[in-house]
Formats: sequence, C-alpha cells, structure tokens
Amino acid sequence: MDLAPILNGFAVVLEPTNLLYCFLGVVIGMLIGVLPGLGPAATIAVLLPLTFGLEPVTAIIMLAGIFYGAQYGGTITSVLLRLPGEASSVVTVFDGYALAAKGKAGTALGIAAIGSFVGGTVSIVALSLVAPLVAGFALDFGPPEYTALALLGILLVSTGSSGDRVKAVIAAAVGLLLAVVGRDSFTGAERFTFGNLDLADGLDFVPIAMGLFGLGEILYNLEERHRAAQAPSKVANVWPSREDLRQSSGAIGRGSVIGFVLGLLPGGGAVLSSLAAYAIEKRRSKTPERFGKGAVEGVAAPETANNAAATSSFIPLLSLGIPANATMAVIFGALLIQGVTPGPQLVSQEPELFWGVVNSMYIGNILLLILSIPLVGVFVRILRVRATILAPITVLITLVGVYTVRNSVFDIFLVIVFGALGYLMKKLGFDPGPLVLAFVLGALLENNLRRSLLLFDGDPAGFLTRPISGTLFFVFLLVALLPLIQSLVNRQRAARRDAHRDTKELV
Amino acid sequence: MSSAHNGSSHPADPGGHAAAGAPPAEEPEAPGTLHELEEVLHHIEEEDRPPHAGPLANVLVALAVIVLGAAALIGSWRLGVGSPAAPQAGMWPFLISVVLLLLGLALLPLARRTADVERFTRTSWLVLAGLATMVVFAVVIPYIGFEIPAALLTFAWLRLLGREGWRLSVIASLAVVIAFYLIFVVALSVPIPHLF
Amino acid sequence: MTVLAAFVPTPEGEAAFAAGLEEAARRGEDLLLLNSPRGGAPVSADAAPPELVEQLSKRAQAAGVRLDVRQDAHSGDLADEVVRVAEQSDASVIVIGLRRRSPVGKLLMGSTAQRILLDADRPVLAFKPHKGAS
Repeated sequence: MDLAPILNGFAVVLEPTNLLYCFLGVVIGMLIGVLPGLGPAATIAVLLPLTFGLEPVTAIIMLAGIFYGAQYGGTITSVLLRLPGEASSVVTVFDGYALAAKGKAGTALGIAAIGSFVGGTVSIVALSLVAPLVAGFALDFGPPEYTALALLGILLVSTGSSGDRVKAVIAAAVGLLLAVVGRDSFTGAERFTFGNLDLADGLDFVPIAMGLFGLGEILYNLEERHRAAQAPSKVANVWPSREDLRQSSGAIGRGSVIGFVLGLLPGGGAVLSSLAAYAIEKRRSKTPERFGKGAVEGVAAPETANNAAATSSFIPLLSLGIPANATMAVIFGALLIQGVTPGPQLVSQEPELFWGVVNSMYIGNILLLILSIPLVGVFVRILRVRATILAPITVLITLVGVYTVRNSVFDIFLVIVFGALGYLMKKLGFDPGPLVLAFVLGALLENNLRRSLLLFDGDPAGFLTRPISGTLFFVFLLVALLPLIQSLVNRQRAARRDAHRDTKELV
Repeated sequence: MSSAHNGSSHPADPGGHAAAGAPPAEEPEAPGTLHELEEVLHHIEEEDRPPHAGPLANVLVALAVIVLGAAALIGSWRLGVGSPAAPQAGMWPFLISVVLLLLGLALLPLARRTADVERFTRTSWLVLAGLATMVVFAVVIPYIGFEIPAALLTFAWLRLLGREGWRLSVIASLAVVIAFYLIFVVALSVPIPHLF
Repeated sequence: MTVLAAFVPTPEGEAAFAAGLEEAARRGEDLLLLNSPRGGAPVSADAAPPELVEQLSKRAQAAGVRLDVRQDAHSGDLADEVVRVAEQSDASVIVIGLRRRSPVGKLLMGSTAQRILLDADRPVLAFKPHKGAS
C-alpha cells in the first residue's frame, strides 16, 4: 500500500488553519450534541455559508468534526440528566443515568469518552483500509451502476429513517422533483420554472438545506412543551477505574465492529448501531439483569458503536460519492459547492483532500477525548442557556448567512419557504433527510439514467444484464419488498404459535 | 432506572426514582431487543410533542401528496415524455410523478392506523408568528439594512415567542445586532445591506 | 388556607422557607413551597436538587407542618407565576426572601420582589437572610 499520500494527509492536517478548524468543528459538534434541539445536520447546514471562504479540505475537516463531535456531546446529558442530547445517545440513558444516580456519573462519562475514542479510532483505521479499496473497485462503474447505486442509497436511507417508510420515500421523490427544477442539461428545456428567472438555473442546495434542517427544526421546536428544569449536577472524578475498563473492554471491542459495519450501510448509522450494540451486549452478557441498573458495558457498547458508525458513514460518501444519511448529504452538497465532485475518483485525484479529512479525524478524536474528560464541566454549563435565546440567534445566522451565498434576497425568501416546508414535514410525519439526500443525488441520478438508456438503446432490461447493476437492483427490490416479506413471515409465525398453543392446551 | 423491557417505564420521567423492583412474572420476549429499544426511542421523541391528529388529517396528507403527484405528472407530460429509447425532458419527472402518485395512494388505506401526524395546537400560532418575523425581515432588509430588522426580529422572538422579560429582550436584541455588525460587517466584510 | 413560600436555593430562599415554616406553624396551616425554575433549558440553577428538597421536608416534619413542594417550570415572569399560584392555592400569605440589588442591577434585571409586592392581592411577608447566613 502506498503510504506517501497518507503521510501527506497528516502534513495537511497539521497546518495551523486546518488544526484550528478541526478544533472549532469538534467544539461546535460537542456543544450542539449537548444541547437538545439542533442536531448535527442542521448545524452543518446553517454553517454552509461559512465554508465558502475556506479551502475544501479545511471546510470538510470542520464539518466532519461537527458530526462526530456531536456523538460525544449527546452522552453528557444522557448521563447527567436522563435526557439524550442526540438520538444516538438514548440507549446510554439506561445505564448511564443509573450510574449517575449511584454517584458514579464520572465513571459513566469517562467510559463513554474512552469507548467513543476507541470506536472512532478503530473506525478511522478501517476506513483508511476499506475506502481506497471500494473506490478502486468502483472506478470501473459505469452509468448503470451509478443509477442502481444512487437508487439503492435513496431507498436505504428512506427505510432507515425515523417514522413512516412510505412517507420517507415520498419525501425522497419530492427531493428528486425539486432537483428537476431548472434547465435540463440534455435538451436545454426549462422545467418547472414557471417563467421565473431566479429558478432558471435550478434551486440552489444551500437554501434548501438551511431551510429544511435549520429553520425547520427551530420552528418545530417552538411547539415543544417545556420539560421540568433540573438542578445543576456536580461532576467529579471523570475517570473510570481499572476494573470498569476491564469489564467494558469486550463491549468496546464489539461496539467498534458493530458500529463500523452498521455505519457503512446507508440508512444504518449511529442511532441503529447504538441500539444494536446495546442489545447484543445485553444478550451475550452472563448477567443481563445488571443492564439498566448501571452496567458499564451498557454505556460502553452504545457509545463506542455510535462513534464508530459516525466515522464509517463517511465511507460511501468519500469512496463512492453516495451519501449514507442526511448529514452526509449536506456534506456532499458542501463538497459540490467547493467544486469537488465526490466519487471513486476522489481518492486518486484529490488525495490531499481525502487523506486530509480522514487523518483529521484522528486529531479530532484526541481533542474530543480531552474535551470530554477534564473539560466536561465547562460543557455542562452550556445546559443552562435557554432555547429562547439561542433560537433567534440561529435564525439570524441562517437568514444573514444564506444571503451571503449569492447576495440574493430571493435566497432569503427561499430559505424561509423551505423552513416552513421543513416544519410542515416534521409535523406531518415526513423525515426531511431523504428529501435533501434525493435532491443532491437528483442530477446525478437523472444523468446516469439517461446515459444508461442511451447505452442500452432504450432497453431498461439492460440494467439487469450487467453483473454489478443487476445485483444492486436485486438488492433494491429485496429492500423495497422487505416489509411485505416481514409481515408475511410474522403472520405465519403467529399462526403457527397459535396452533401450537391450542395443541398444548388440549394436552 | 429499570431496564427497558416494558414500554411504560421511560427514561425522561422527571423525579422518578430508579425502581429496583422484581421483573414481571411473565416476560413475553427477551428484554432489550432491538425492537423494544426502537420503541423506547420513539416514545422519548414523542414525549414533549403535541398530541396526534386523527385519521382525517392522515387522509388530507395523502390527498395533498396525490394532488402534488398529479400536478407534477401533468407538468411532465406537457414537457414531452418520449420513450425509453428517446427520452425527452419530461421523462424523468414523469417517472417520479408516477411513483409519487402511487405512494400517495398507498398512504390512504393506512390512514386510520398511522399515528404520526401531530395536531395543530395553540402553540402552532407561534410558528406562524416566527415565520412572519422572517418574512418581514426579508422584505425590509434591502431598504433599511439588516440592523433594525435583526433587532426587531430578535426582540420579537425573545419577548413574544419566548416570553422573556422586557429588559432582557431589549438588551439581548441590541447585543445581538452589535455582535452581528462587528462580525459580519467589520470583521468579515460581508456585503449585506447595512445602514450604519 | 395555606402559606406560600417562594423558594430558590440561595440564602434569600432559605430565609423565605424558614420564615414560611414559622408562619405556617403559627397559623396552623400547611406550607406550599414554590420552587419554579424558568423553563426552556434542561438545567436551571434555580431548581432545588432532590437532596435539598428532602432536607426541607424533614425540617417541615420536625416543625409539625405539612409541606407541599411544587417544582413545575414556568415561562414568562416569576412574579406572575407566584401571584398565580397564590391565587390558585388560596394562600393566606406569600412569603418571599429579599435580595439587595444595586440600582444598576435593578435597572438591568428588574426586581421580582417588587413585582410581587405590587401585584399580589393578598398579604406579602418579606424577609432578609440573617447576617452571616451561608
């Protein structure tokens, strides 16, 4: 394996600007992970205008830091307040808060920090090995493969999203439609522009992401009923004992693997991996009754897994150009803005960018370990800031920020419209994530589809004749029909169980 | 906090003590399965939200999707669809519209069972008010710069939407505008319309 | 009829509790302790931790007074909340602790005690913490 680009990557990371923005990213990430309300996708979207003046490497280093930093931050509120800051830290509440109730909050936080660090680092190493391999493999991909891959990615993200599957696919379809607005690159025809000049070049990604994620989430949170506020907790001794470390080592090891694997899959991600790691750890434990009452493994497993998954979810983006979740979709958009087209060629054509970002994660994880052990007290104080004060500041940052993109007031109106849409979508049970994902993939998908049809002279069966695209389409059908298959299997199982019970009663 | 094997015990219960009681006599499934954990996740996310709307709302949502799909279908037809061998500009949006239409129709039979549409409550007016402040901001900013609209928006959000005190609202509004001015105009030289 | 004491975990709140306890014992009424932090943030320095609440309950028990602690968060002005709860629980007297504010402090932050004194429609008993209190 050629080590030169990897070493160059470290040289890139150690440049002062990049170190600064890495630090900035992980601090912001940890802050928003602590604060309930804004999530990493929303924050990255709101900060997109900031990335305009930065080098691509610097921008992505910061955005990536926000994403995996948020996984560290979410733990703090779970343990101290029984209040998960991020969805991927919900499971940590069970055993984390139990430990805190016993006065061992420091142990829980410490184990979580160490697990997160290990999980993240293991995942980065694995990423360094896997991503170039996948990218190399994918260099032979043609338009049909890309079409299948993009479709599969959109479907998997819709399947994995919270809420109704059908509605998530509807959101994705709307995203694809929005990508159509503008001039058709093949024929030059204007589609769905309604004669509006501002729409002739198509909808810009930045107002859509900022509106749907940023403003949409703030508006949605306006309706939240107030929880009871809690007294500030004192956190002492944030360092686990050797016994705790020994006990959780297995959980950390397994969590890293589970997190890495599940994070790879579009639609998998940090949330699913934290749930899966916890469930698996509990099942394999010889004393499962300890779980929920303060088992350190119950904290170590999900926290390791969610960080591993957050890191590995970069792989589809960096090696194939397919975002695995909503946050990756926003980072995809950020890359496009910078003039970088993500895809298999990224590893070979932009090695400084690729290895710069990947290697920055090592530094980022080290920084986060420092921040979450000695400096956790500082972050806990953030919890006293009221949402009512943060909200208008974020709104203004969004409105002013979107203006700076193209100096266009139309963009401000656009971001407001999408803010309203984001609010409505969340209110009505539609996940905005698949919409943004489908939007960024829309142009790519259509271009590849049309090119494929040209390749096949208009015969759609051509997709199935090629081995890779055929396999991908088969997987697509499998995933699409999975719920139907599942319900059939469940019904059969229930029927068999009833029959069994009846016979048992007769005996 | 007892383990998550029954849906009734949820972590974010304020003031609840960690119940170390005996597990229920009969456990239907092994506790801590993925499915149960997902249920707990959904439960927590729903906790502070307004209640769910009835099936009528679900039907309306489905109808809205169908209408959107139909409109897009008509629009793409007008652009010209062509054939797979010779696709025209409207082919791709046509395909999407068909999928959208079918999915909208798929929502209808499930309308009675799904429970993820929230009711619009009195607090929903706050959202409308928030949107209104943003629209006013956007309308007014080319004429009088961003300072005054930003201060007014912040004040409105603090005082009206956040019910903070007069003093805090006024002081915070001024502080925010000054900070924005220093950061965006002075430090970053962003070409945003400004009065001062 | 009940005595309403507005409480925060500070010397002033302490004074209000102690005075409220005495008053309730003297009148033979229950004591309603209102510890209402401002809602909107997960953590508030105004919220009394569970150990403190337990301590206060023990003291009330020792004094032979029935104690009811309310810790629901409020939005808006605390003075309004105190007056509202007073009316809702038909308090015979509102007991508050006084804090010395500089004129600038009063200008910037206002005075909850002043608002309660002016708005309440029932007697208000205001106490200063003992000198040398922790």
